[in-house]
Amino acid sequence: MIPDIEETATEEDAAWRSPHPRVVVAAAVFSLAVAVPAAIALARFLVGRGVALDRGVAAAAAAALLVVGAAAVYETARRRATRYRLTGRRLELHSGIWTKEYRAVPRERVRSVDVTADPVRRVLGLAVVKVATGEKDASGGPAELTLDALAVAEAEALRGILLGGRAERPDDGPLAELRWSWIRYAPLTVWTFVGGGLALGGLYKLLDTLGFEPAKWETAARVWEWITATPWITVPLLLAANALLGFAGAIVLYAESWGRYRLERRPGVLRLRRGLLTTRSLTLEERRLRGVAVTEPLLLRLGGGARVTAVTTGLRKAEENATEEVAALTPPLPAREARRIASAVLREELDPAGLRGHPRAARGRRVRRALVAAAALAAALDVLDAWTAWVPAWAWALPVLAVPAGWALAAEGYRSLGHGLTRRYLVTRSGAARRRTVALDRSGIIGLTISESLFQRRAGLVTVSATTAAGEGRYDVLDVGRDEGLRLARHAVPGLLEPFVEESG
Amino acid sequence: MTASLRLRPPRHRADPRAVAWWTVQALLAAVPVAGAAISAYWRFTDRPAWLGALLVVFVLLCAGFVLVVPRVYYRTGRWEVTEDAVYTRTGLLTRTWRIAPMSRVQTVDTVRGPVQRLFGLADVTVTTASAAGPLKIEGLDEELAAELAERLTAITQSTPGDAT
Repeated sequence: MIPDIEETATEEDAAWRSPHPRVVVAAAVFSLAVAVPAAIALARFLVGRGVALDRGVAAAAAAALLVVGAAAVYETARRRATRYRLTGRRLELHSGIWTKEYRAVPRERVRSVDVTADPVRRVLGLAVVKVATGEKDASGGPAELTLDALAVAEAEALRGILLGGRAERPDDGPLAELRWSWIRYAPLTVWTFVGGGLALGGLYKLLDTLGFEPAKWETAARVWEWITATPWITVPLLLAANALLGFAGAIVLYAESWGRYRLERRPGVLRLRRGLLTTRSLTLEERRLRGVAVTEPLLLRLGGGARVTAVTTGLRKAEENATEEVAALTPPLPAREARRIASAVLREELDPAGLRGHPRAARGRRVRRALVAAAALAAALDVLDAWTAWVPAWAWALPVLAVPAGWALAAEGYRSLGHGLTRRYLVTRSGAARRRTVALDRSGIIGLTISESLFQRRAGLVTVSATTAAGEGRYDVLDVGRDEGLRLARHAVPGLLEPFVEESG
Repeated sequence: MTASLRLRPPRHRADPRAVAWWTVQALLAAVPVAGAAISAYWRFTDRPAWLGALLVVFVLLCAGFVLVVPRVYYRTGRWEVTEDAVYTRTGLLTRTWRIAPMSRVQTVDTVRGPVQRLFGLADVTVTTASAAGPLKIEGLDEELAAELAERLTAITQSTPGDAT
C-alpha cells in the first residue's frame, strides 16, 4: 500500500459519483439491435396487410424511434439511480431504479479488477469495471460489483487505486505478447466443424423471426432438390463449405478476442490486456494466484498447441456458453510457449518430462472402461433392434468402431497420467480428450481427500485429491499407486498426513 | 522408502445409538417401497406365483437393506479430531479418507433433525473454503457433538488469516 494514494482516495474520491452521461448514448445504440429488426418485421407485416409502402415505413420508423427513446429514458433513470463512492476503506455502490440496492466491498478484499469496453463503448470512450472479491454471494458465486460504465480514464484510475497503485508502476517487460503466427491454432477446436452449421441455423432463425420464411422460397426448394438428387457430390461439398465457414469464423474470433494480447507482471499483480474491438483488461492479485493449468484439448494437442489458465480465488466462473474462460491467461499458442509462460507465472520451471507416470493397472482400468462402453452401446442397439426392428445395418459399425477408438483414447488417457512435486507446487496431469496439467501451490492446499473404489482397491490404486479455495476447488491425481499416492500426499502438505499414516513391511 | 504405506483408521466411531437412528431412516425409505410393491402385486396383477416369488425376494432384500446398511455404515464411518486436523473415513465400496487442517477450517456446525433428537444424536459439519464440500461427522452423541463444535470453533478462531 502506498500512503499518498490512500490519502488521495479518502480525500478526493469520497464524493458520490455517477456513471458517465454517455452511457445513455450507448444504451440507445444497443437498443438498435432490437429496434431495427422489430421495425423491419412491422413494416413487412403492415405492407403485407395492404398498407401503403410509405405509410408502413413511416410507422415502422416511429416504432423504432419509440424503442430507442424508451431505452434512452430507462438508461437515464438507471444512471440517476446509480452512485458509487470510493472511501479509504471500501467501494460502495447504490443502484436500482425500482428495487434500491446497496453494496459495499472492503478494499482489502478486492482480488481482481476487470475493465472491458466493447466497440460501442470504446467509440464513446467508456469502459465497464467489474470488481471481484473472494467472498461468496447468496447464490454461492463470488460476489462482484459492476460499474456500467465509466469514462476510460476514470476506470483506469479506479483500477489503479483499488489495487493499491501497484498496477500503474512500470513493469520489467511483458511475460507474453501476441504473435500473429499463433492464429494457426485458432481453428483447432470442435467449433470449427459445428460453427458453420450453427451460424446458418442462427441466420435462418433471424430471418424467420423477421417474417421471412426461407423454407418456402422457390430457390430454397430448388437447392434442396439439387442436394438430395446428387448426395455424393453435395454432401462432401456442404461439409467442406461448413468447415471453411467455421475456419473463417474461428480466425475472426481469435483475432477479435486475442488481438493486442499482452500479459505482464507488475509488482504484486498480473495484468492481461486483449481484444481487437472489445478490449478487455484483467488485473489479478498474485497473492490470490494458487497455480496455473495448461490445457491441451485433443485437436489443439494434435496441432502442437496448448492454452494456459489461472487457478485463482475470487474470479467468477465462466458462464456455460461463454466462448472462453475468464481465467484464461493465454490464447491457444504453441505448447512450448505455453510452458514458458506457465513457468514464468509460477516463477518455477514447469517441466512435463519431470512428471512420474502411473502404474500399468491404471491403463487396464481405462481400456476395460472403453470396452465396457462399446459393449453397452452394442447391447443398447440390440435391445433397440429387438423392440423396433428398425436399426439400419450400418449402425452396427458404431460399436465396432468404438472399440479401436475407445482403446486409443484409453491408451492416450494413460499416457497423460502423471504427477510430481516441486518446491512450491503439486503438479498433476490427466485427460485423454482434454489433457490438463495443473500446478497447484502447495501452500494453497486446504485439505486432502484420498479415495479408493472397489476396482481401484483390487488394482492397488488410489485417487489423491487436493482441495483448494481456488479454481475448481479440487484437483485430482487419478489412479496413482497406493504407496506412491500416500507418499505424494504426505510430502505435498508436510505434517498434515503424518499422524494418520502407518508403515508396514 | 520401500515400506508399504497405509492410512490408519480414525480413532472414533459414531455413537452406537446411531445404528438405531439409521435403521429408522432405512425403514422410512424401505417400507414405502416394499409396501408399494406388495399392494401393486395384490391389486394390479393376477397374482402369478413366479411374480409372487420375485416379490418375496424383493421384500427380503428390503429387509436385508434395513438390517445390514446401518451396521455397515456404523462400522465404516470413523472420525478423529487432533490439535492440527480433522480426519474422517467413509464409504464401503468406495472408501474415502478426508483430512482438513485445522488452520483451514472456516465454520463448524452441528445439525440435529427432529427424529435425530429423539435418539440424542447430532451431526457435525466442518466447512473449509473449498468448493469440494464439507467434512461430515455423523451420528454423534449430542453433548459430545456440541463440545466438539465448541472446541473446533475455539481452535479455528485462534488461527489468523482467512483460511484460503
